[in-house]
Amino acid sequence: MIDSYIDKIPPSPKVLKVTLMLLNSGELVKAAQIAKEDLALNAYLKDLVNKPIYGFRNEVSDISQIFGILGVAKSQQAVYNYMISLLSPAQWKLFKLNKTTFSNLQADLSANWQKILAHLNIENKDIESSITLLPASIIVSEALFNEKIDDVNLLRSAHPIDLNTILKRLCKMDLFDICEQISKKWEMQESVAQIIQASSGVKPSDNEEINMLGKWMHLLLFYTLSQPNYINAELNDFIDFQIDYVEDIYDEFSQLLIKDLS
Amino acid sequence: MRAVVRNGVGVFSPQGFLDGNNSTAFLSIDDIEATAKLNVDMILVSLKKVIFFNRNGLDAFVKMFLKVRAGNQATVGFCDYDAKKFEAIVKFYKDDLNFSLFKSQDVASLFAANFKNQNKNVLLYSEDKSQRAAMAIELHDNGHNPIIAQSEEEFEEKSEADNAYDVVISHTHIGQMGQTVAARVTGNAIIYTVSSFLDAEIGSTFNIAYHNNSLNVGFRLFIFDAFKVVSMNVHALNFFSKLASAGAEYNATICFVGLTFDKTPIAFKETLEDSGIMFFQQMDDILQNKELLDELGASSAASVQNIRPLNKVMVTELPHFIDAAVATIEMMTNSKATKDAVQINEIKIDNKEDKIASSIGFYGDMDGMVILIFPTGIAKKACELLIGEETDDIELILDTLAELVNIVGGKLKTLLLDQKIHVDITLPRTYPDVDSLLEITEFKKGVQVDLVFDNDKFLFFLTR
Repeated sequence: MIDSYIDKIPPSPKVLKVTLMLLNSGELVKAAQIAKEDLALNAYLKDLVNKPIYGFRNEVSDISQIFGILGVAKSQQAVYNYMISLLSPAQWKLFKLNKTTFSNLQADLSANWQKILAHLNIENKDIESSITLLPASIIVSEALFNEKIDDVNLLRSAHPIDLNTILKRLCKMDLFDICEQISKKWEMQESVAQIIQASSGVKPSDNEEINMLGKWMHLLLFYTLSQPNYINAELNDFIDFQIDYVEDIYDEFSQLLIKDLS
Repeated sequence: MRAVVRNGVGVFSPQGFLDGNNSTAFLSIDDIEATAKLNVDMILVSLKKVIFFNRNGLDAFVKMFLKVRAGNQATVGFCDYDAKKFEAIVKFYKDDLNFSLFKSQDVASLFAANFKNQNKNVLLYSEDKSQRAAMAIELHDNGHNPIIAQSEEEFEEKSEADNAYDVVISHTHIGQMGQTVAARVTGNAIIYTVSSFLDAEIGSTFNIAYHNNSLNVGFRLFIFDAFKVVSMNVHALNFFSKLASAGAEYNATICFVGLTFDKTPIAFKETLEDSGIMFFQQMDDILQNKELLDELGASSAASVQNIRPLNKVMVTELPHFIDAAVATIEMMTNSKATKDAVQINEIKIDNKEDKIASSIGFYGDMDGMVILIFPTGIAKKACELLIGEETDDIELILDTLAELVNIVGGKLKTLLLDQKIHVDITLPRTYPDVDSLLEITEFKKGVQVDLVFDNDKFLFFLTR
């Protein structure tokens, strides 16, 4: 089933490939011209950047304007977010999500990831984009488990087990391995997949920087999934939160992102 | 969010951050209502995966605790925390700490009424003297050997001794404990522990659903451990008389052990004896007397008089029974099953070696029992998903098999409900070998389906 799912992942569309290539070489204007050919991408980007978390006072509607405001790294991140959203189902069954809540989740993760990277003084387009692959794990869970919702719920009502562990124990491959396959198929940088694997919380990386980024991403995921909207979407316990893995960065994280929890 | 229920303990496991904004999202009104209706001895909220919480975040769960206690008197509280979290909770609820705090789920299980782990040597310490005493009493009541450290220094010193204690308890607080009548299973007898004054309250503290389930699943001997009973009044007398009459339909026997009549009218004993209740001085007078056990029906969990034929409704619904078992085991083993043979007869097992079994009863619009007989290899494979690793620990496999057959029962309930047939399921039972199963199924006719999973034969048997 997993093999057939991976086989079904489409290659990245040509327009997106060229847009990303141009963004990668800093050609914002040319990238915008190419991106204009994909109307769905236009609509997605417009919707994304006008979300409150991006904090723009006036509506931003033109794609060149969007790329100009976002800059190279964030534009690349936005295009990747769009690519991931292409994999999302028309109708969510396992999680109580829809197009809007899923895109809000992407925006929340992306905006806070930017804050984290700024705090860590990291300026790297690929690392900035790595967060975009994280929601793919949610899409993969939905795709693999939605036909067995009742069985999975029954199993989980009798035994405390998360979806990632179920998949790993049954198929020796977990959600994050599948995310890695997606990143390879879409020719994303290798470091993107490495950070995502580390962010699972169960596969620490030997590379110190990647491991540290994995910790921040793991904690960011659970900070985000602790928001009421995502708890209501039943995302809070889809994977296991590894509290020990993130313990050493928690204080720094809370000072940066948690303003008023007490 | 719903609780995961195992061995009579329901556990909620929120993850991440718990504050005033999200706590109501973790627990909706429906979740609270569903929890209050759960038939459990203990409801716990695990803080293992919670990295941050404040008082507002815990309040939603504390409100649920009050509702649950009002509904079924279960023990309620938080568990799985470190010293820092423990101190924070104690500070938040300083004057209002009427729920329990258990450092881990293992510690909580020592205080649970299911008697899953007995006879543990427990070292305990609390700064609060009354807590130390209360914990020791509860542990002793539950069949453990508590050793109280009187000071922190003594506790540190004793807890460093290797292998001296099975469990070491600190950072634990017991609030109002469950008042339900504790039950444990010994062989094929069920032992209930009752204490102090028995009055009309027994009607609400005795878990009648558990008792009825036990009758349905085939238990025939029920023993009330009454060593700590001071006296009983006429309301309790009526309760036990009715319980004995209701059990008579199943050929069940009720016994009292250790009950004295210093403060209870001796006439009560005669009334209870007239209802068929028997009295013994010591537990061993029954449990060590094989002949008496045979006579009381505890050597075989099934009563021969209780054999009933399969009926048309059950045969019509047979595909659902098979589907429930097959779908669950297919999911757990990630393999496909094929049907080999179907026959209606007494159960027939060609090779009894290296097989374990489990059963679950159902009752309601229809009643009966599903029995699954696994080669140990398939059982291990099916349980691997739940255990997470390969194991040869037969106790662990049998325990997990009980969970698995519980899942099959849940699936069956859902499938039958789709056909508008309402059934409830009983507690699952497991059998370490085929002979212990045959004691129950002897002379019973049923539908036997031989199934093959990856070349391993697996047997499904449906009977009444």
